[in-house]
Amino acid sequence: MAIEIPTLPEQLPTSAPRFVGKEVNRIEDPALVSGTVEFIDNLSLPGMLHCAILRSPHPHARVIKVDTRAAAALEGVEAVLTGEDVGRWCAPAFTAPEGWGSYCMAVDKVRFVGEPVAAVAATSRYLAEDALELIQVEYELLTPVANPDEAMAPGAPLLFEERGTNVIQSREYTWGEIDRVFADADRVVSRKFRWNRVGANPTETFGCICQWDLADNSLTCRGAYQTPRFMGLGRAASLKLPANKVRIITHAQGGGFGGKGGPRGTDIAALLSRKADGRPVKYIEDRMEYLLAGGGQSWDRYYDAALALQADGTVTGFKVRLVDDQGAGAEGYGTISAAKPLAAFTGNYRIEAASYDLTLVATNRAPTYPYRGYGPPPHNLVLESLMDIAARELAVDPAELRRRNYIRPEQFPYTVPSGNEYDSGNYAAVLDRVLEMADYRALREAQAKARAEGRLVGIGVVSTVEPGVFDWNAYATVGVPGVGVPEGVKVAVDVLGNVTVAVGFNLQGQGQFTVAAQVVADYLGVDMNAVKVATASTDVAMPHFGQGGSRLGVAVTGAILGACEKLKQTFCLLVAHLMHTGPEQVELMNGRLQLKGAPEHGMSIAEVAGVMLARSDLLPPGMEPCPEATFVWTAPNRNLPDDQGRCRSYLTAANATHIAQIEIDRHTGQVKILGYFIVDDCGTRLNPASVEGQLQGGVAQGVGAALFEEYVYDPQAQPLVTTFVDYLIPTIHEVPMTTKDHLVTPSPFAPLGAKGCGEGAIHTTPATLMCAINDALSPLGLEILETPASPHRLWKLLHGHGAA
Amino acid sequence: MTTMQKIHVTVNGKSHAREVEARLTLADFLRHELHLGGTHVGCEHGVCGVCTVLINGQSARSCLTLAVQADGANVTTVEGLRNRETGQLHPIQQAFVDAHGLQCGFCTPGFVMTTLELLGENPDPSDDEIKDALGGNLCRCTGYQSILESVRLAASRLQTTQSA
Ligand code: FES
Ligand code: FES
Repeated sequence: MAIEIPTLPEQLPTSAPRFVGKEVNRIEDPALVSGTVEFIDNLSLPGMLHCAILRSPHPHARVIKVDTRAAAALEGVEAVLTGEDVGRWCAPAFTAPEGWGSYCMAVDKVRFVGEPVAAVAATSRYLAEDALELIQVEYELLTPVANPDEAMAPGAPLLFEERGTNVIQSREYTWGEIDRVFADADRVVSRKFRWNRVGANPTETFGCICQWDLADNSLTCRGAYQTPRFMGLGRAASLKLPANKVRIITHAQGGGFGGKGGPRGTDIAALLSRKADGRPVKYIEDRMEYLLAGGGQSWDRYYDAALALQADGTVTGFKVRLVDDQGAGAEGYGTISAAKPLAAFTGNYRIEAASYDLTLVATNRAPTYPYRGYGPPPHNLVLESLMDIAARELAVDPAELRRRNYIRPEQFPYTVPSGNEYDSGNYAAVLDRVLEMADYRALREAQAKARAEGRLVGIGVVSTVEPGVFDWNAYATVGVPGVGVPEGVKVAVDVLGNVTVAVGFNLQGQGQFTVAAQVVADYLGVDMNAVKVATASTDVAMPHFGQGGSRLGVAVTGAILGACEKLKQTFCLLVAHLMHTGPEQVELMNGRLQLKGAPEHGMSIAEVAGVMLARSDLLPPGMEPCPEATFVWTAPNRNLPDDQGRCRSYLTAANATHIAQIEIDRHTGQVKILGYFIVDDCGTRLNPASVEGQLQGGVAQGVGAALFEEYVYDPQAQPLVTTFVDYLIPTIHEVPMTTKDHLVTPSPFAPLGAKGCGEGAIHTTPATLMCAINDALSPLGLEILETPASPHRLWKLLHGHGAA
Repeated sequence: MTTMQKIHVTVNGKSHAREVEARLTLADFLRHELHLGGTHVGCEHGVCGVCTVLINGQSARSCLTLAVQADGANVTTVEGLRNRETGQLHPIQQAFVDAHGLQCGFCTPGFVMTTLELLGENPDPSDDEIKDALGGNLCRCTGYQSILESVRLAASRLQTTQSA
C-alpha cells in the first residue's frame, strides 16, 4: 500500500493536534540545564589515552624530517604518529571535485598553518602536550600562495603539484538570454564586493574517542559528529577500511552550524589507537586549534556583479563573477558553498536571465568548510546591495523596488532561471507586514531628521528566499554525485504503549528530538513524555544524514509520519481481524484504533501493541508480532541537473524580509543597531519557539559576519586570528533584541507543510545591515562593499573622506 | 617536572582532599578528577564564559583558575543547583527551560551560574543590568533574546517565592 505523508497538521489522525504547532518545552532541556548531557569530553573509557597534535607553523613547506624519539621516550607516552605511518596506511581525503584532498597528517608537505605534522597519545592531555615539545621537525620552506590572485598568476607555486594548477574549478553557467537583457537594459548597476572569511565556531569544539579493534580490524568512533554516516564513509575511505567496519556513535553536540570539522582529528586518534594496541584514544580539539585549522573557516570571496534594469525598475538580468578562495584544497567541502546559491540565485525576484562565472582557487589559507546556510549569505549581500544601489539611482524606495520585482503568489510553484523550483510564498504580504510592524514611514522620517542633524542613520530592507531541505543534486556542479538524501527512523511501540523513535543523529541544538516527539505523540495519540527519542549508531541505524542543509526538521517529520503510517496500516489489519471486519472499516483517531462510525468499538495503541507482542494466538495468519516500523524519507520529485546545473534541488522555499535601523558613530566607526524587525514565512511552524530561536540565532551570526568576525591572514598566509580575543563573536551587547512576526504559507510538498527554517536569518541579516550602513553613508557619497564593516574599516573610510 | 600539591576544596557542599599538579586548571579538576562534567569549556582562554563557576559565591572562569588556587574554597557548579532529593530543577534552570533560553545547551551552565550570582546580588535587575552581567558569556546558538527572557522570568519567579 502506498504511504501517504500528511502535508498539513490537520491531516494528522487526531481531532486537534496537542503538540505540533505548539510552543512545547523541549524534551532535551532538563538534562542540558542540569549539566548531565554526555558531551564527548564528559566520557572516559577504561585505559583511555589522550591525543595532542603538533601543527605546522608554516603555510607552505616540505617536511624533511620528523624526529619523535625524545617524545616517544617520555614516560606516559604510549604512541606517536607521523606522516610516515599515515602515508603507509591511509588515503587522502575524498573531495568534490576529486583530487584536491590531503592526508590527515602531512606526508610530504604542509599546505597551511596548523596542518598536523605529528601526534602523540599519552596517559594525560597535559603529558601529551609536553611530549609535543620534544618533537623536532625539519622543514624546507616553500613560497606561500596567500590569495587567489597570487594563486592564479603564471608560474605560481602549486599547492598540489600533481594537479598542475591552483584552480580547482572554473566554469560559467548561463541561464536565459543574459547578453540580450544586458544589451537591452536601460540601466546597469555593477560593483565589486569582498566577503572576508568567517566561520561557525560552535561553543563546543570537535572531539572524539576512537578505538581500533585489532582483532577484527574495525574501528569505533565516539564523538561530536554532525553527519554520522557521511563521516563514517569518509573515515572508511581515508583509513582504508570496509565501510561496515567503521562504527560512528555520535554524541550530543555543543552546536555545529556545519563547521564542526572532525575528519582529520578522528583519523589521527584512530591511528594512534591502532599504534597503542587498541587502547581508546581521546582527542579534544582546543579553541586555538579550531580557529587555526578546524572546521570553522568559510566563504572567502571576491565578487564582481551586475544587475540589468528597465527604466520602470524591472530587473531583467543578474550577472555574478565569483572567485572563491577555498584554502588548502577541498577537504572541507567548501566547494559546495559556491554551488549552493544556484538554489535561489535570483532571490525573491522575477529576473529572467542570470549568469554565474565561478572560479574556485586553492591557496595556503586553511581549507574551508560549510557554515550555516552553506553559501548564500555573501551571495544575498551582493544581490540585495545591488538592488539598493539601483533603487538609489532610480530614486525609488528600496522596499518599493523589491515589491515591483517579487515573484507573485499566483506564480508558484515557480522555477528560477538557475533551475530550482520554489514551492510557495507571498512575498508582498511579508513585506507589507514588516513595513507596518516597523512603522517604516516613521523610520524614514526619523532618519531625515537625524540626517539634518548630521547623524549617520541608515535603514536596510532586505528580502531573501531560504532554500530548505537540501538535496545532493544541488551540488552536482562541483562534482557531488547523487539525487536524494535518505533520512530514516524506526518507531517502536512497546507492550505498555510507550513509544521509542530511533534516529541516526544526536542533539545539536535545533530541537529535532522535540519535533520528533511532538509529531509521533500527535500521530499515535500518546503524551510527549511517553516518547523517547534515541540515537542509533551507524552500524544499526537506518540510512540517515543528520543535521545540515536546513532539512532535518522537515526530513525527520517525513520519516516519522511514514513510519507511523506503516504502523497504522498493520494495526488496522490486526484490529480488523480481531473485530471480524475489513481493515478499511478501522481508523486511527486520538490514539485509538476504532470502527469507523462506531468509535466506541476500538482499542488503544497500547492494547494493540500488547496483543501483537504477547498474544500471537490472536494474530491473523502470517502477521509478524512487531509493533515497530521503519521509514526512510527523501524529498519527492527531485531530478538530475542539466548541463547548466539546473534541477529541482531544495524542496522548500521559505522567505523573509528584515528591516534594520542603524547609526554609525562618526568618531569611532562603530555601528549601533537601533531597531531590528523580522517577518518570515517558513510554512507550518512545528514548534514556534524553536523557529524563533533559529531566527534569532541566525541574526546573531549575521551580526557577527557583517560587523565583527573575520579570519585575518597576513600577506604570507600566516593567520593572525587564533583566539576569541581576535575572532569576535557577538555578545549580548551587540545582538539586537528583534521584533518578529510571521506569515504561514504551508509548503504543498513537504510533510505537514513545514519549510526548512534554520538558515534564513543568516541569509538575510548581513545584507540587511550592510544595506543599512550604505544607506547611512550615502549622503556622504561613500560606500562600503567589504565585510565585516568593522569599526576600524568604517573609521578609515570616514576618516579618509574627512567626515570624522 | 610536575609538582604535586595537596588541596582541600568543597564543591557543592561536599569536601574533597586531593593531590594535584600545580598546573591543573580548576575546570579540568572539576571535570576530570571530580567527574562533574556540567562545567564545560569553550575556549580555555577566558573569553567565552562557558566554564563559569562560583568560588566563594563569586563567579569565576574555571579555565583560568588553577585547582590549587581553589584550595580551601567553596565552589558551586551547575550540578549543585538541582534539588538532590526531588531532582527538581532550580528556578533559574526551570526558567531557561520554560523560556527556551538554550539550544545546544553547551553555554547554559555558564549562563545559569552567572545568573545565580546576579540574582543573588540584584533580585530585580533591569534589562541593562542583566546584559551587563551576561556580557562575558558567549552563546553561539540563541542570539541571547531568549536568555534575556529566561533571566527575567527567573527573577520574577524567585521574587514571588521570596515574597510569598
Ligand atoms: S572556557 Fe573558560 S572562558 Fe572560555
Ligand atoms: S545554546 Fe548553544 S552556545 Fe548557547
